[in-house]
Amino acid sequence: MWTYYLTQLVHSLPFFLKGLWMTVAVSGISLVAGTILGFLWGIIRTRRSKFLYHLIGAWVDLIRGTPFLVQIFIVFFILPEAGIHLDAFPAAIISLTNLGACFICEIVAAGIRSVPWGQKEAATASGLTQLQQLRYVVMPQAMKTILPPLVGQYVLLIKDSSVVSAIGVMDVTRAGWLTVQRVPQGLMVFALVGILYFIICYPLIRLSNLLEKKMGRGTTSF
Amino acid sequence: MIIFRKVHKWFGKLHVLNDINLAVDAGEVLVVCGPSGSGKSTLIRCINRLESIQKGELIVDGMKVHDFKTKMTKLRAEIGFVFQQFNLYPHMTALENVTLAPTKVRKIRKQEAMEAGRQVLEKVGLGDKIDSYPAQLSGGQQQRVAIARGLCMRPKIMLFDEPTSALDPEMINEVLEVMRDLAKEGMTMVVVTHEMGFAREVAHRVAIMDVGQVIEIAPPEEFFSNPRNERTRLFLSKILRH
Amino acid sequence: MLEAFNFRVILEYMPLFLKCFMATLWLSGAGLLGSLVVGTLACAMRISRSKLLSGAAGVYIESIRSTPLLAQIYFFYFGLPSLGIMVTEEMTGVIALTLNSGAYMAEILRAGVQSVPFGQIEAAVASSLNYFQRMRYVVLPQALGVTIPPMLGQAIVLVKDSALLSLISITELTRAGQIMTSERFMPAEGFLTTAVFYLVIYFVLKSVAAWSEKRLIFHESR
Repeated sequence: MWTYYLTQLVHSLPFFLKGLWMTVAVSGISLVAGTILGFLWGIIRTRRSKFLYHLIGAWVDLIRGTPFLVQIFIVFFILPEAGIHLDAFPAAIISLTNLGACFICEIVAAGIRSVPWGQKEAATASGLTQLQQLRYVVMPQAMKTILPPLVGQYVLLIKDSSVVSAIGVMDVTRAGWLTVQRVPQGLMVFALVGILYFIICYPLIRLSNLLEKKMGRGTTSF
Repeated sequence: MIIFRKVHKWFGKLHVLNDINLAVDAGEVLVVCGPSGSGKSTLIRCINRLESIQKGELIVDGMKVHDFKTKMTKLRAEIGFVFQQFNLYPHMTALENVTLAPTKVRKIRKQEAMEAGRQVLEKVGLGDKIDSYPAQLSGGQQQRVAIARGLCMRPKIMLFDEPTSALDPEMINEVLEVMRDLAKEGMTMVVVTHEMGFAREVAHRVAIMDVGQVIEIAPPEEFFSNPRNERTRLFLSKILRH
Repeated sequence: MLEAFNFRVILEYMPLFLKCFMATLWLSGAGLLGSLVVGTLACAMRISRSKLLSGAAGVYIESIRSTPLLAQIYFFYFGLPSLGIMVTEEMTGVIALTLNSGAYMAEILRAGVQSVPFGQIEAAVASSLNYFQRMRYVVLPQALGVTIPPMLGQAIVLVKDSALLSLISITELTRAGQIMTSERFMPAEGFLTTAVFYLVIYFVLKSVAAWSEKRLIFHESR
């Protein structure tokens, strides 16, 4: 009986791999877009504009204070009322990108703030513009503080991408959900789902830990 | 070169600069000393607008620093600033530290800048350390790189904010040597320091500040042997004892 | 769209929302308590000198951290029945939340215990304090300062995670929004009200976290 289900599962493997590909696509696009947006917001948050600081801060709070599932439902069900009709895939990307950007924004802002104030003064005193300071002095040093939690955030986003299955995106989780209707062996099916996520996430977690160790050792005592 | 006219600055309620009237000529070396909290660091930091003044006029090299419309990037290129904490860029070598501003602000070509940088680092005695990172250098060496970083911009003015206060005693001299040579070459310098020996030998004038005011300013011979102000006498007796 | 925002319907559904609000609270709360128990156990196993115990806890923690919560929820929801274990959806939900959060709690606790400098423990031993005295007066007060803020963070995460339980038909806050969408075709009123409730919980927890950090910093700076 058990072996029957196992063979069924093995036959479904291509189906799961398609789902895996969708997970990678959704996460990948959102990671890249979210990183770009997150760095932009994070840099803006460290500037002198109080208005922008609070504006972005309020948005970040909103996103961090509500479940991702609710955010996706809002994008998918409420935007159509305002006239914006989105398919599941774009809706998923927009929500996940936004989620990523909000968390990455905070990581980047913290990283920039961690650069000693004297560095910015020295750069200013040499006559470098704000943009030049950011590019040559501040960001290279901030990256040490940003990189480990950034990679950690990527892992979180890949896991959060499983939630998009709720609006019908055909990712690994949805593949499992559909399969378990035919192959009523929840343990086996979702163990497989778990293994597939594990393959993507575990190396990234190890990378994040490695980066944390490397970056920690590299800092000197000023 | 540098003119303070009726300058005032407040930090909240604290009147940190109180009616400063001071002029520094080209080629002059001015040493500023005084107890901590007297405003001497603030004074020097106003010259390149790391701090802004609230009242009065501050004119540097003909440009109105007190006017917010004045764009400081051009003026700062003419002023070298040496910090107490060195503030070298830890992710760059000594050569990269000194060539960053010349290449990005003065738009000098990389090869030229590197040649010039090598020469300046030689001049401060660090020709063999051009590819070292700050973490590999001693405090005295780092401060000399910081001075070289300022010099590579070929500034008209060099400002020093307590350059030796963060150094171990045995490294103070190597930095003072470099500063002495600079003065001999006719550089306009304003130096905030406690090193009275340096003041006596190198300065054209010595000024003392207390509670935001310049109490006395005179050539070193007068300043040290015959100070006019009581507070100057008191300060000198405290600082010269050790 | 906003002119048509129907506050009267929201008022009509308020009893449902309040009931679901309580459900979210008790589901998260149960998950929090459960995860403290599981987390303490897993942490003790992880830091024990037995390679078997440490390894077992390690496998548990890494599996949880490398797989999405939704997959874990489905794992129990579809898997337990196939083992013949019939429990209510609520129970399944609490089990999934507990086991998920427990892994993160274990890591938080581990960081807390390891954060107390070894020199402190040596000093305590040198003053001839016994194990329990050392724990009570030296280790735990300092470990608490390091663990309470992340634990409150985990509490916030749990509340947001509980939203996923709506996908296995549990009547909680997100489900209330879904019900309003399906019964009245008013996703805006439904999900925005849901979002507001979550934000209330979020800001309350954030204030508690800020307040506790003020009191604990006193502890550390002495």
